[in-house]
Amino acid sequence: MSVTLKYPFERREAPEEYRGAPVIDGDRCIGCGACSRACPPDAILVLDDMREGFRRVVLDVSRCIRCARCEEVCPTGALRLSREFELATPRKEDLVQVVKLRLARCVVCGNYCDFTVRQVEKALEIVPEDVREAARERISLCRACRRRLLGEDLANLSTGLWGGILGQEG
Amino acid sequence: MGAVKSKAGEVLEEVIRRLRYSVPVKGVKALGEGRAVVVVDRRFLRDAVLAFFKAFDGREPQLSSMVGIDESGRLGGDVYSITYWLSLNDGGSSDVLLGIRAYVRGDDPTFPSVADVIYGSNWYEREVRDLLGLKPVGHPDPRRLILPDDWPEGVYPLRKDFPYYESPSTEPKYEFKVVRDANVVPFGPYHVALDEPAHFRLYVRGEEIVEVDYRGFYSHRGIEKIAESRLTYNQVPFIAERICGICGFTHSTAYCQAVEAAAGIEVPERAEFIRTILLEIERIHSHLLWVGVACHLLGFDLGFMHVWRVREHVMWLAERLTGNRKTYGMNLIGGVRRDLLKYRVEAILKTVERVRREFKELVDMLTNTRSFVRRCEGVGVLTNALARKWCVVGPVARASGRKIDVRADHPYAAYGRLSFKVPVRSEGDVLARALVRIEEVFESLNIIEEALDTIPGGEIMADVRDLPEYSEGVGCTEAPRGENVHYVMTGPGNRVYRWRARASTYNNLPAARDMLVGYEVADAPLIVASIDPCYSCTERVIIVDVRRGSAKVLSRGEFERLSIRKSRRCA
Repeated sequence: MSVTLKYPFERREAPEEYRGAPVIDGDRCIGCGACSRACPPDAILVLDDMREGFRRVVLDVSRCIRCARCEEVCPTGALRLSREFELATPRKEDLVQVVKLRLARCVVCGNYCDFTVRQVEKALEIVPEDVREAARERISLCRACRRRLLGEDLANLSTGLWGGILGQEG
Repeated sequence: MGAVKSKAGEVLEEVIRRLRYSVPVKGVKALGEGRAVVVVDRRFLRDAVLAFFKAFDGREPQLSSMVGIDESGRLGGDVYSITYWLSLNDGGSSDVLLGIRAYVRGDDPTFPSVADVIYGSNWYEREVRDLLGLKPVGHPDPRRLILPDDWPEGVYPLRKDFPYYESPSTEPKYEFKVVRDANVVPFGPYHVALDEPAHFRLYVRGEEIVEVDYRGFYSHRGIEKIAESRLTYNQVPFIAERICGICGFTHSTAYCQAVEAAAGIEVPERAEFIRTILLEIERIHSHLLWVGVACHLLGFDLGFMHVWRVREHVMWLAERLTGNRKTYGMNLIGGVRRDLLKYRVEAILKTVERVRREFKELVDMLTNTRSFVRRCEGVGVLTNALARKWCVVGPVARASGRKIDVRADHPYAAYGRLSFKVPVRSEGDVLARALVRIEEVFESLNIIEEALDTIPGGEIMADVRDLPEYSEGVGCTEAPRGENVHYVMTGPGNRVYRWRARASTYNNLPAARDMLVGYEVADAPLIVASIDPCYSCTERVIIVDVRRGSAKVLSRGEFERLSIRKSRRCA
């Protein structure tokens, strides 16, 4: 039996287990950057625009080695390897996907934080219900305000969120 | 299993005791069952290595690897270590891997060479000189090995103060051997037989090859430096797998085993079995690929096409099991990423049955094809004595009567729980290498079936957290081409401080000279291919007539026709 096909006139579909080109589902991506940290060849970059308030997750499929580590570490299932393998193109931009997400604003100073609005939503979804309200006012803080408020909290351990957490452990 | 392990411990004790008779030993560092590092003063490094080979001559002693390390991170200051990794290989009863280590300082980075006696250390010693600036004294051929011709003297890329992104350059120079009264046939860097860059200079008188020179490492990518500089430990398996486009999985397995040994990670049994099954699938595809290429080089293209037709089913199987035909991407530290689901087991069994039946028919045809047999018989002979001196591995070693196989001698993954034969032949010629590989295909098919029968249930990945700092481990696997050895020293921040990957061809290729000398130019592609060497690209040869100074470009087709014409004469 012959195994040769008259490609590209005859085609063989890649099997369902196949690891093809990765694709990000922009609706599900929260911009956490876990994929970018796991990616061995740096095919995924996370770039923040602190002035305009956007995070860009840039996936360059031409650098991708199809290891699927990104798919494994993605907490929301936004990143999936497709079965696509015919990627030849004269324009390299065709192989780049950009997901643009809004950065969260600091509830104290109003500057942009180094995480996205969707990350805040996801975090609130995960934390236990009884501290959710307390967490809401502490999560959307830029680094500078967080550091300042943490100092104040520690100076006054008996009150606020920290008081609750430390009280449970102590 | 426990009995075998304690035996290794006893043998290791004996080895260290015998070493103490010959040289003063400064210290012994145990690295687990049958593994240790012995530290000696560098003055005694040569004596210690030679004593090991002499004392255990009957147990197939082997230079499995040699690792140079810039120790400034661990010990501070301008300190380097050199470790010869020596193994005994007599069928698992002495599963010993011993490092003999000496430290040198940067103001006098010399050590005594053993390459005049243990030919196999020739490349290793030149490598630590090139990459770390540690100088072997008394080396018979101290020319540059790895760094390119235009790399400046005195710049050592594996030293920790050298940044991984630098690429210095100066005037290129390289001195080839000079042989009087012989013509030179440069062979590569674009390689005729296996489409990868390596440069052989064949010195010929008429048709006869009288001397051979080699220059390679054109595709040296510096991946060890990249791994040490910018990858975390679980990113390295993917670059390790890309060391080879044919047998990459065995490299990522060896790397993972080295880290797992260094960090004391217990891999779940089921993962060990899955690794084993995939390693054997890889071996089958690799050997079938080789048999096909060998047929092609002999002008027997019908054989080539049929073998590759059978091989295609193995590729499709791998694609379904792992997600890709090659570069399986299945290994992480602590286990594997995809389980063997029930329908996948059925797919494996079906393919195994088909390959066994169809390949058997082809082998019957091939071994009854007179031109194939006569063309391979008595060509490219490597004697057993030379095979031992060069420390060759894999089918090349087994075709020259060395019964060594990491799967049997140093059982890893699930091999200690499976039974299989290690095919050995004594002729040492191209035919013997072919027949060993053919027998191994059938053994691999059996191993897969037995593994599927006995695979236990359970987890496929261990829970791995942070790695300990400055812990060392060695991982060995039997690649289709022979023993692969990966050495890892972990570093701070979940990175590897030193990773030394040694592929099997590294031990086999230096012996090519002794296989080529005395045979004809037309045999050269076949002999080089019979090692099944693993380098990478396209092909073109120039024949230079030294006396007339003229050069003639010989295309791949013409060179192959030379080989094919000779097959016709044999028929």
